[in-house]
Amino acid sequence: MDYEAITVDLLSFIMGDAPNDDAFNRMALKVFAYQFAHNQSFAKFARARGKTPRTVTSWTDIPAVPINAFKALEMTCCRPVEAEAMFMTSGTTFGGLRGKSYHKSLSVYDASMRCNFKERFMGGIEKMHMGILFPTVEEMPNSSLAHYLNLAVQDFGLPGSSHLIGEAGIDFDRLIADLDHAQMTGRPYALLGASFSLVHALDGLEKRGYSAILPAGSRILDTGGFKGQSRDLPLNEFYDALSHRFSVPRSQCINMYGMTELSTQFYDSGNAVCPSVKSGPHWAKTRVVNPLTGAAMPKGETGVLIHTDLAHVNIVTTILTEDTGIETEGGFLLLGRAEGTEAKGCSMAVDEFLIAAGAA
Amino acid sequence: MIMEHAGYLPGLDADAVERQAKTYGPKGAEISVLLPVLHEDQVSQLACHVREQARLKLKSWPVGQIIDAIDLAVARLLDRQDPYRRRMDQLLPIITGYDREMVRLGLTGYLKTFRKPQLQRFLAEDFVNPAILDNFQPLPKGGMGRAFGPQILAHVWAGNVPGLPLWSLVAGLLVKAGNIGKVPSAEPLFAGWFAQLFAEVAPELADCLAVVWWQGGNEVLETSVLNEADLVLGYGRNESLAAIQSRVPITKRFLAFGHKVSFAMISAAALNASKVSATARLMAYDVARYDQQGCYSPHVVFVECGGSVSPERFAQYLAHELAGFEEKFPLRTLSLAEASGIVAWRNMEEMLPGGQVFGAASGAWTVSYQAEDKVFSPSCLNRTIRVVGIDSLADVPAILTPFRTLLQTAGIAAPPEELLALASALGEVGITRIAAIGDMTSPEAGWHHDGRFNLLDLVEITEIDSRADGAADRLASYDD
Repeated sequence: MDYEAITVDLLSFIMGDAPNDDAFNRMALKVFAYQFAHNQSFAKFARARGKTPRTVTSWTDIPAVPINAFKALEMTCCRPVEAEAMFMTSGTTFGGLRGKSYHKSLSVYDASMRCNFKERFMGGIEKMHMGILFPTVEEMPNSSLAHYLNLAVQDFGLPGSSHLIGEAGIDFDRLIADLDHAQMTGRPYALLGASFSLVHALDGLEKRGYSAILPAGSRILDTGGFKGQSRDLPLNEFYDALSHRFSVPRSQCINMYGMTELSTQFYDSGNAVCPSVKSGPHWAKTRVVNPLTGAAMPKGETGVLIHTDLAHVNIVTTILTEDTGIETEGGFLLLGRAEGTEAKGCSMAVDEFLIAAGAA
Repeated sequence: MIMEHAGYLPGLDADAVERQAKTYGPKGAEISVLLPVLHEDQVSQLACHVREQARLKLKSWPVGQIIDAIDLAVARLLDRQDPYRRRMDQLLPIITGYDREMVRLGLTGYLKTFRKPQLQRFLAEDFVNPAILDNFQPLPKGGMGRAFGPQILAHVWAGNVPGLPLWSLVAGLLVKAGNIGKVPSAEPLFAGWFAQLFAEVAPELADCLAVVWWQGGNEVLETSVLNEADLVLGYGRNESLAAIQSRVPITKRFLAFGHKVSFAMISAAALNASKVSATARLMAYDVARYDQQGCYSPHVVFVECGGSVSPERFAQYLAHELAGFEEKFPLRTLSLAEASGIVAWRNMEEMLPGGQVFGAASGAWTVSYQAEDKVFSPSCLNRTIRVVGIDSLADVPAILTPFRTLLQTAGIAAPPEELLALASALGEVGITRIAAIGDMTSPEAGWHHDGRFNLLDLVEITEIDSRADGAADRLASYDD
């Protein structure tokens, strides 16, 4: 099967109705076979585990590639030079090595984003006035989040929607003008951005003594956590502060959980309660496993997340994350990162060694 | 649930000390440790008391007598029926998660290095004439000298390897310092038990040492202890040590023992059919002991090519032996983060060109064999070891050069001339201890921890200038 054929199949799978388990399994195995045939690094990885299209009969048997593999290997079905886009992680671990995801084209990625965003964030509204607290695609060409937010504005933003971050940080004059405008017109407003940028926005508005009473239907999307780029605050405090500053109920403060190593995002249905239940669309499934054995954890017990994202067509469908969570009714609770190994004695853990070696 | 008090606070009214409970251990076998939560004024009260009591009592005890007291306490701990030892054997495995049998054997082996003859060796290692700790002794250059320990020696311990605080506590007692030690949350009990037991066997010295705790990062309490101390010994991560250092007044000394990593080297001469099994078994023991959490625990084994057993084959032998140790002393239960770390490490190692990974499906041990990637790269602990095939062991020191401040022990299996030649080259790149394979994790009595002098570093010498004697003579009543 070639790229065009698998893309056509996937697009209709994504646009179509929610499939039954069988249909999902068939599609997943088809994508697995395609990736096994075209992604050499992945094929080697799978073969070493005895997993080939011949032996894998259920999507849960597709070997999960650890996210670190994206740092060490070229995980791609096309040659890197043929890729329309290459997204990179921020590279905060493993000595600054950055994980790369090559997309031969963005058609499936974009379809996945649009379908899912429309349903989970827009909630039936066609278009809204949007403000983006993140740099533009031009400023960050290798950021999957920049691309995602760009799509959001392009496809779901009313004229006048714009990015509110420049070289000098948040443009508060424009943010406040946007918020004023929304309050004046009474039309709902959407503020989207990195979680840490929203903290910066909260801090900046607080300093200016500015609060907004946004019209009903307004909403906020945050993603990515604080990453040491802003003060780190408990989620309850964060959503209380957002809700208080913008008069947007916590149930309309939606967190998106995405990864550079995926083509599909996960959303909650607001953060009235934290941690919120997250889930993906019908083409992405999440399992909570014991990282060593890959066996599913019993419901209610903490494990590591494995995502199977059929839209990640040019790379691999199934990745083993370093995020911990609990399986729940209708999705999973995201609990945070499994922070690697911390030495308990007087030896050094890998991260500590890298920092110390860098300083030595 | 078992409840245990941590700390040892002589001179403080026990009812006035607040306690915070912390729970340790797996579901169903939890123990609750009540940690002391001190106020600033209690810290200064404690320091005052310890300083005064050490001045009045400890300073007048001859060092030989102090050794006898420590020996008595250690003998009690070596007695498996002793109530303190029983508590250690029962509770330390729960607190730390290490295998019960490994803790028991480890403690006995460790405590044996603190008996009277070993303590005497400990002294002799640093002082040609240990009586210099008791009174003025002639100095080789002329004149007289006497060694004084600090009035208050503060210890900031870290980590959970059972018994580690004993090193510095014993060193503090031998130089007659008043001691205040801060235990880490990871293992808050051993030091307090030792202090209580010491008070039992030497009641006169009962108030010369104190064991405290505070939540890591409590700058107020940390600063007040540092202000009371004359000398501070700190253990832990570089960033924690830097934080301590920034709060130690310039007029006081701070001795930092940062976390370290260690490694092993196997000469081609040790790689023949008759010797390889035994070497691999000893190597596996060094990896398994305390699940590699010690600064002396190996992360990498450099294995020389050219023996009748190849490095790759050695990696397989090592894997076999680690599997054996898992039967005998199973790995402690890993946290999700640790398990995740092992998976990530295994995958990275496997993806390197020329890399092969052998490991238990449960994650209990992993051997990574690297034929091409010859850099020094730390393992992710918990019985994960990297075996690097190398043409000549003589190439290893150059590989280590960038990490000289982070290295400690080299375990070496090699014939005598090669051992000496390697030791010289390794010393030049910062390795401070060469050990036989199998002994990496049990330093001998009197070893120079991180290349330093355990006791000499703690004392100041007061010297009487050789001419002072003559000058005094001229003032004597018998002067003509």
